[in-house]
Amino acid sequence: MLMLVLDGHVDLANQALLLILAAALAAIWWGPALSAVSIGLAVLAFNFAFVPPRGTLSVDLHQHGLLLVAMMTVSWIITVLVARLKRLAMAAESHARHSDELRCFGDALRASEAPMDGQAPLRQILGRLGGGHAVLLVTSTDTPADEPTAVEHWFGEGTDEEQEGLRRCARADVPHGTEQGRHGAAHAWLLPLRGSQRSHGAALVRLGTGTTPPETERSHAQALCDQLGAALEHATAERAASRALRQAHLQSMRNTLLSAVAHDHRTPLATIISAAGALHDQADRLDAAQRERLAATILDEAMQLARITDNTLQLARLDAVGLDLIKDWESPEELIGSVMRRLRQRDPDDRLRVRVDPGLALVRCDAVLVVQLIDNLVDNALKHGGECGPVEITARALEGRIVIAVRDRGPGVPEGLAPRLFEPFSRGPQGGSAAAHRGTGVGLALCRAIARVHGGELSLRRRRGGGASFEFSLPVEPLPTSPTEGASPEYGEGASPEARR
Amino acid sequence: MSPTVLLIEDDRELRRTLHNALVVEGYHVHTAGSLAEARALLAHAVADDGPDLVLLDLGLPDGDGEPLLTHLRRERATPVIVISARHGDDPKVRMLDGGADDYLVKPFSLAELLARMRVALRHRGRRLRPAVLRYARDGLEIDLEARQVLRGGAAVHLTPTEYTLLARLVRSAGQVVTHRQLLADVWGPEFVDHTHYLRLYMGQLRAKLEAEPAEPRLMLTDPGVGYRLVDSTE
Repeated sequence: MLMLVLDGHVDLANQALLLILAAALAAIWWGPALSAVSIGLAVLAFNFAFVPPRGTLSVDLHQHGLLLVAMMTVSWIITVLVARLKRLAMAAESHARHSDELRCFGDALRASEAPMDGQAPLRQILGRLGGGHAVLLVTSTDTPADEPTAVEHWFGEGTDEEQEGLRRCARADVPHGTEQGRHGAAHAWLLPLRGSQRSHGAALVRLGTGTTPPETERSHAQALCDQLGAALEHATAERAASRALRQAHLQSMRNTLLSAVAHDHRTPLATIISAAGALHDQADRLDAAQRERLAATILDEAMQLARITDNTLQLARLDAVGLDLIKDWESPEELIGSVMRRLRQRDPDDRLRVRVDPGLALVRCDAVLVVQLIDNLVDNALKHGGECGPVEITARALEGRIVIAVRDRGPGVPEGLAPRLFEPFSRGPQGGSAAAHRGTGVGLALCRAIARVHGGELSLRRRRGGGASFEFSLPVEPLPTSPTEGASPEYGEGASPEARR
Repeated sequence: MSPTVLLIEDDRELRRTLHNALVVEGYHVHTAGSLAEARALLAHAVADDGPDLVLLDLGLPDGDGEPLLTHLRRERATPVIVISARHGDDPKVRMLDGGADDYLVKPFSLAELLARMRVALRHRGRRLRPAVLRYARDGLEIDLEARQVLRGGAAVHLTPTEYTLLARLVRSAGQVVTHRQLLADVWGPEFVDHTHYLRLYMGQLRAKLEAEPAEPRLMLTDPGVGYRLVDSTE
């Protein structure tokens, strides 16, 4: 139409350019085949209508033949290029959509508590891809792969035939990269949930009627399924690892308890049994003082046994996985003060000295544990720190930490023992008084475990002038709000606290 | 008349040993091996006013004793001493907050048990008579009526909060008072988690009242549980 209007105003070459423009537009709007055909027709029509002699298809080969051929060729090239561009754009778009879906699904999997929760979004996406809906089979991830009676988890409704197909698909350990043609029935996709070791189930996607989604969609669906498979496999591996870890911990706890019974419980038990036996069998032949002494022995040994048991249980507890510390604000002065009464009873010679620097910051720790630590260190020092030298307990601030130390003036720890000192059931050298060389049992091992769960370390330092110093430190953290004296209510005498009960 | 004690303990040997020891000390003792048995005894005892003191072991074959404490607290003011075995998740602090009077951790000495029982029985008497207003021990004299604190005869100046805290401990002298109870009674129920307040004020009180603050003889700490002002007669 435009060409007819322009006829006579512009020359033939310009009109030919217009035709090429029209061909380019056609290539953008229509498919490549349709544009190619229409270009052929357009060139013929152009020849017929505009190329002299007008009204005929005959051409002056020298004058216009070249023009027509060039026109046709350029138009076709444009058509082909545009078509390729369109295809590439579409591929890029679908690629972007696929990777977006993969990413979203990956995020959903990570956000969910268990990979099994990924089934709902996966079924939704698969249903959309296939234009129908999806059924999912997850074979239990807690039983080993070779277990014939794997537990099955079904998501979505499927016919018996479909279920059988899913089972077969899940069982067939197809290595990566192999095409899954066998089970791919025409009306549905069967996709295994592949991990790197085995399949963890399968998905069946019913295809919508009338449409056959392209192969790219199918491989995308497989990629999604593999993502779930990998997540399931990861979870299985993690569970297996934590099971193994629990087993190992249980084993080490059992070993600790057994060694404690073997090493540390028998001696006090033997003493108790013989003393109690003497009281029971020889009571009438013993004088009051002897009976008194035997009773005192039983009491002492039983207390010792109770202490060993406490330590062993606490060590086993600290070894256990997932221990919850009950941390609260504690004052170093109080922590030390709370063990002093009990310790004084074990200190008839008055060897204990306490020195707590004034104004120490509060620390956050589990009071029961730290008190047990101090108690054990002091008990150890009283037993092994020489016959009558002083035992010092000190607390001071040092480089943002509170350092608590228990020092004695005893023979110190022998060179050979130092590296093994904090291992359970290590002992001092033989010789000397028997009482002094009874094993510390798990005492020091427990002390170190307690220091470690508080983010510290228990260390042994040799003192100048002889003796040992066991030291551990706790970090000082900033206090929350401080109490203000003015805001506290006056104590009303009428409000008896007992009324609260 | 000798006080009646209800001993609830499932271990037969310990029950028998404690029973004998308490009888020797002049108590009248009933024993129960389970919560159900204890409930039956308590229901039966309504007529003659029930026991004067309950010793309650946690971890009984038919429960952990907590419902029994709730039941007792609803019905009567009988003092309850909880006996705990110090296992992982120990409910003793919860029991103390729930109204138990004191606690003992197994293994405990007989002397310790008897001392706790004496204190608990004395506090029971105080519920009927006016609350205790005086405390005197080791040169420390506290008179709540006169709001006066003397150490070695000389008046000690306490801030209002320090005084309130001390008075709360005096009222339960000899018994443990949990962190939660102290914080609620001294600062208010919204401060029950502010343990650091307690640490700071207890430190100040010790500095003013104890001869050797790092080795207290009056204001004792029960780690992880609370504080105890030593009984004036202990």
